[in-house]
Amino acid sequence: MSAVAPKGQERVVKNIGGAAIDGAPIAYIVVLAAVVTALAFIPFSVVLASGGSFPMNQGIFGLIGWVLGPIAGAIASGIGALIGVFVAPHTAGVWFVTVIGAIVASFAAGCMSAQNAKRKSWWLGVVIVTVIALIIYLGRALFVNGIALQWAIFASFVNWSSLLLFILPTRTLVVKWIGSKNLVLVAIGLALGTWISFGIAHSVQNAFTYTMYNWPEEIWVMLSSVIPIEFLSRCAIGAVIGTGVIAGLRAIGLVKPTEGVY
Amino acid sequence: MSETIAVFDKVSYFYPRSTRAVLSEISLEIKKGEFFGLIGPTGAGKTTLCCALNGIVPQFYGGRFFGNIHVAGLDTLEHPINEIARHVGEVFEDPETQLIATSIENEIAFELENLKVPREEMIRRIPWVLDIVRLQGMQKKNPVELSGGQKQRLAIAAALAAQPDLLVLDEPTSQLDPVGAQEVFSTVYKLNKELGMTILMSSHAAEEMAQYADRIGLLSEGRLIAVGTPDEIYSRVDLLQENALRPPQVASAFYQIKARSVPVCKVPVRVDEGKQELARLVHDGAAIEPPRHFAEPEKKTEQPLVHIENLEHVYPDGTKALHGISLDIHTGEYVLVIGQNGAGKSTLVKHFLNLLKPTTGVVRINGIDSSKLSVSDLASHIGYIAQNPDNQIFNMTVWDEVSFALKNLKYSKADVERLTTESLQAMGLYESREMHPLALPKGDRARVVIAAILAMQPDTVIFDEPTTGQDFRGAHYILDISRKLHQMGKTIIVITHHLYLMPEYAERVILMGKGTILLDAPIRQAYFDTEKLQSTYLSAPQAVELAQELSRLTGKPLPVLTAEELAGCFSAAGNGGAR
Repeated sequence: MSAVAPKGQERVVKNIGGAAIDGAPIAYIVVLAAVVTALAFIPFSVVLASGGSFPMNQGIFGLIGWVLGPIAGAIASGIGALIGVFVAPHTAGVWFVTVIGAIVASFAAGCMSAQNAKRKSWWLGVVIVTVIALIIYLGRALFVNGIALQWAIFASFVNWSSLLLFILPTRTLVVKWIGSKNLVLVAIGLALGTWISFGIAHSVQNAFTYTMYNWPEEIWVMLSSVIPIEFLSRCAIGAVIGTGVIAGLRAIGLVKPTEGVY
Repeated sequence: MSETIAVFDKVSYFYPRSTRAVLSEISLEIKKGEFFGLIGPTGAGKTTLCCALNGIVPQFYGGRFFGNIHVAGLDTLEHPINEIARHVGEVFEDPETQLIATSIENEIAFELENLKVPREEMIRRIPWVLDIVRLQGMQKKNPVELSGGQKQRLAIAAALAAQPDLLVLDEPTSQLDPVGAQEVFSTVYKLNKELGMTILMSSHAAEEMAQYADRIGLLSEGRLIAVGTPDEIYSRVDLLQENALRPPQVASAFYQIKARSVPVCKVPVRVDEGKQELARLVHDGAAIEPPRHFAEPEKKTEQPLVHIENLEHVYPDGTKALHGISLDIHTGEYVLVIGQNGAGKSTLVKHFLNLLKPTTGVVRINGIDSSKLSVSDLASHIGYIAQNPDNQIFNMTVWDEVSFALKNLKYSKADVERLTTESLQAMGLYESREMHPLALPKGDRARVVIAAILAMQPDTVIFDEPTTGQDFRGAHYILDISRKLHQMGKTIIVITHHLYLMPEYAERVILMGKGTILLDAPIRQAYFDTEKLQSTYLSAPQAVELAQELSRLTGKPLPVLTAEELAGCFSAAGNGGAR
């Protein structure tokens, strides 16, 4: 233990090599992308959602954003999901929507942190994109396809509730819980954060899928109860896997990515 | 050799979230073309210093960094790691963790590809580096098929292919058997002397460092407390002992001889110089008396704990690992099993636990044919501590790891608590009980596994290479535990290559070679059968070599095994030629 201040001049420490992306070692990005791909094989569905089962990896997109940060997280999830589309087509759905969802979910999760002063306003960009997506999705439902207002509100509960929770201080509260030493709070933070981050991704995804498929009002009725249950499944996946991953990462003491919040 | 390749100027470093400086006020110049040895106990900061040379510290790890490091004129904080990597090649402790390709040539090409070396140049460099590390003609071979020494030489070749100015090797021999270690040292020495490559090597191998290094730096608690030639550093035995470091046995022996007021003119650090100094002392009339009579281990006549008759074992791939072994081990013995890698040592002891079944022959444990006993029956009586601790670790905390078996064996809660606490305290791990086992250094991880076995209170404990990767203090910590267990009446079987550590502990030596027993004798007899040891690529400790020389010079039998025993042969009275 050195009680005396070092004689040498303190230097600014920065990673200027190519071995990391946005402060996240490439090795981490590769490993987590591989995990996303592996989980793409596992169909995890309560019932049919937007025309098929959803892959288990949807539960960890948020986690990857909190571990790697918005940019590296989006890259890892995007690459993992893209490979997953090819190697596990049975869970893929519309391939580019799957990849976009992965990228948006991890990016949104990474933007929930306020620890990087230069990125404090990035969350606003996420809000703007989500609002535009909801206008496309719900606007088309209400004004083009004539879906009844109550079913549009019920079926999009996960979307607007996520956006509200993202705008409110719950955004930073989630990050605070994920960074807590108390693993129960970590699990709650991961569950709530998964709801928020995937809800935002889901809004963006639906702007594409609804434009493509224009499902009728009967489907909206069914979705209004199914989608929240599916979301709870994703939250459970995120909390269970995420708590173990974060506890392990902390215990092993591996280098923490610059934008990681755990 | 006056030009410098690396300069540390008042370097201090703190890992993230740590208030302890792992490097503190390091100022050092490494000269072009020199072989610089770095020594220090575990936790002294050797690996951090090595990683600071190519910018991995602090660029990858983060933390707080003070001062400057310049390598080949580049400030390691101002230039990216990939640029510094063109000047600094690094080889790590465990060869298994640094080889990734499926063929030797791809392994070497990987680094070159990352450095954007043109294909034609790669094709030229690959055979060149393989020739240097003596792996020529093996381009297509898969690295997993290589021996430990060959793997480490391949890692050196991969680092060398980038034609660095400085080659940094961080304890490259600690995981290797004596043959592998010698291969690595001779390769590195050749690079240094024939190609003029600058070498920085950290190592606990005192005898080899004394032989090969130009200068040695002693690192302790992050501070560089001494720098000098091997003669200057290794002859300061008190300084080394203060820092839990092992001097070469020859230095230790002469330091103790000198302490007995025998006029040693200079404490030698190499065995040849030691032999010359012995000749001088004998010539000058030093008083040398054979040591007191050493007690022979008592002959056991009761039923053996392990009885083996004509044991043969053939692996599924057809490799015949054991050839007609017959052997008895009695309760309460401390047995050392030695031999080169592939001699059949681990194969033999795995039969004691039914982890392997005899192809032919019989293994009886306490008179019962082992084939009639289950692995779990045997495991509660015989504890096996495997070579790689990581293969036996799977819990989230040290406490859970050590208490795991006890809980499975349905011990009461109070007993689990008591035995786990006692075992952790015995291994000095109680303070680390809440940590993740894999967060501990490799030496400590080995102690976690030993603690888990000891908690089950087995009658017999088998230690398979327990001192590999341990520093001197860590090795003695483990061996002292083995001695304590032995004194409690337990049977101890140790497999090791570190012969110099064992005279204080073992009674009997089983020397194996090519699946047979070459020698089964008391340790004092076995260590002096140097021909048989050399036939399986083992070397007797330096103390034995010196004792043999002294015996030749005086014509007196001197069956001593340690530096202390050798020094005990000298007395101040009658010494001549005082200087």
